[in-house]
Amino acid sequence: MKLINQFTIWYLGISIIVFLIGGLLIFYKLESEIDFEQGKELERQLDRYAKKMETLENPERLRKDRLEIKELPADQAMIPFQSGDTLAWHEPLEQIERQVKAGKSYLVNGRHFYMSTYNIMIESNDITETVVQTMVAIFLMLLIFIAVTSRLVSKRILQPFHQSLNRIKNFSFKDNQPLEFEPTKTEEFEKLHDFLNKMSIRLLSDYKVVKEFSENLSHEIQTPIAVASGKLELLLNSPINNQQANWIAAAYNANEKMTKIVNSLATLAKLENQEFEGSQSIDLSRLIADCLKEYEELMGIKNITLHQQLTPSVKIDMHPNMAEMLINNLLSNAIKHNESPGYIYLEVNNKCLIIKNKGPKPTGNVTEYLKRFKKGNPMSESIGLGLSIVQQICRIHGYILDYTFINEEHQITIQLQN
Amino acid sequence: MMKILLIEDQIELSDNITEFLASVGIFCDACTNCFDAQDKLLINSYDSIVLDIMLPDGTGLELIDVIKKNQSKCNILIISAKGSLGDKIEGLELGADDYLTKPFHLAELHARLKALYRRNQLGGSDVLTFNEIQVNPENLQALINQTLLDLTKKEFDLLLFFLTNKDRVLGRQAIVQHLWGDYTDDLANFDFVYQHIKNLRKKICQAGGKDYIETVYGIGYKFNTSPEK
Repeated sequence: MKLINQFTIWYLGISIIVFLIGGLLIFYKLESEIDFEQGKELERQLDRYAKKMETLENPERLRKDRLEIKELPADQAMIPFQSGDTLAWHEPLEQIERQVKAGKSYLVNGRHFYMSTYNIMIESNDITETVVQTMVAIFLMLLIFIAVTSRLVSKRILQPFHQSLNRIKNFSFKDNQPLEFEPTKTEEFEKLHDFLNKMSIRLLSDYKVVKEFSENLSHEIQTPIAVASGKLELLLNSPINNQQANWIAAAYNANEKMTKIVNSLATLAKLENQEFEGSQSIDLSRLIADCLKEYEELMGIKNITLHQQLTPSVKIDMHPNMAEMLINNLLSNAIKHNESPGYIYLEVNNKCLIIKNKGPKPTGNVTEYLKRFKKGNPMSESIGLGLSIVQQICRIHGYILDYTFINEEHQITIQLQN
Repeated sequence: MMKILLIEDQIELSDNITEFLASVGIFCDACTNCFDAQDKLLINSYDSIVLDIMLPDGTGLELIDVIKKNQSKCNILIISAKGSLGDKIEGLELGADDYLTKPFHLAELHARLKALYRRNQLGGSDVLTFNEIQVNPENLQALINQTLLDLTKKEFDLLLFFLTNKDRVLGRQAIVQHLWGDYTDDLANFDFVYQHIKNLRKKICQAGGKDYIETVYGIGYKFNTSPEK
């Protein structure tokens, strides 16, 4: 739900409560005000009657249907003005109605009279109706006004927010530019911008450190490795005894392994740092066919039969090097961990890439193999980074990788569409 | 005798290469920076230049131009730790003949230098002969006592690799790198090397050749010019 809609709903909800309370207040205020004014009016009427009485011989003549005149003993205390409501027969409506009644005593020509009169009250139903109608009208006006203006205003107020969002979306480590925002009048946005700016600077410097580390690692370590391997190569060809040869062989093999680990880790770091930019449309089917040619011979030697089901011209968007890495790692993995005689089943279509191969039962959960340096057979020559690279490539492209072992068969499925 | 100039700033690495090449009969002149390299290029003439990209006073790529101007017949082999495709393409476009990523096997460097030498200086017409074995890299034919061997491309490459590095122990890893390059490197299954060597030996023996290739336990193989049998 959009922020503006949430705001509007909350605002309208609060408005309803305020309008209800306000309506009640107005209702009571209005009613008491009317009663008060009616009472006043009746008092004035009584005052007028009292004045008239002074001029009349017989005050009783004034008495009519709404005016009651009672003579009280002259020594009785004066009754001040009082008003209240009462139920009385209302002639024109021909029914009993709630009426307001007011009374006061007067001294007229030395005689003490108590006069009282009543009048029909304005019905509370009428007041309620008026109040409700007014409130509903105001509420509707508010509703329309808010609906229209909030949209316009929110566009204006949230404009810096959308701008910032765009900047964040376009943020790339490659540009090496921290996030910069135009100053806004909104305090919250300013806080957010400040935070994002600091965070991006931090991210860039962290990224730089990691990148430099992996670059230095892959570059600087190559030379000492090359030196060591060269010396060992020279040593191998010098006069040595069998024991020495074995030692040299062990050192030589360890050195080779180190090269491979460094290379693979550097590749993984490159993948994680998104250094492969510039995706192209790649014909996956053709790439697979080309790679398969390279491996034909190896499969022949290991006595592995290949079953393939390649839908022609399956296109994916990927950096060419990455695509090659993906296929090479999958194929070499399937060959490496196969049996002899064994088989590989390869299928590719627009939805997914499936590679199945016969292989030894894994010791643990197969998904463990996707982690770095996890291998099925600890004695094997491989270093256990191949599938990690495959998984990293899948992660970058949002492909879902699934690894299962069912019926003596390792199966890797990569969903190319999600 | 082949004469090469090595431009490499890592003294240890440079020593390894010089020593190795000397042991296979290649004269190797070494220097550690662009400045010295330009001097040497003006005075001497070389068959090949082995060039590192990262040098203390510039990049090796800048030197390619100088080399091409002074010694047009000279081969250039770039060695660089930067396995980046960009460097490789740029180097080859500027006129380098081959590219080798560090760390490499000395035997591999030797084989590449020999191949360049054959291709450019000898016009590819060089036939390697050793006792009863004759190998012609141009038409990919190998003969034992004038009988044509039926070799696959990989087996032929393997034989050539052995003949270039006679009497030297070749690690299995060096053989893998030579035959399959960097990509299949991870496939590190030495069974493959074993299979190829087994087939090659069988084919040579069947054609009446001696069994020169011997296994060096735990390390690799060696083309022994004076087999005991």
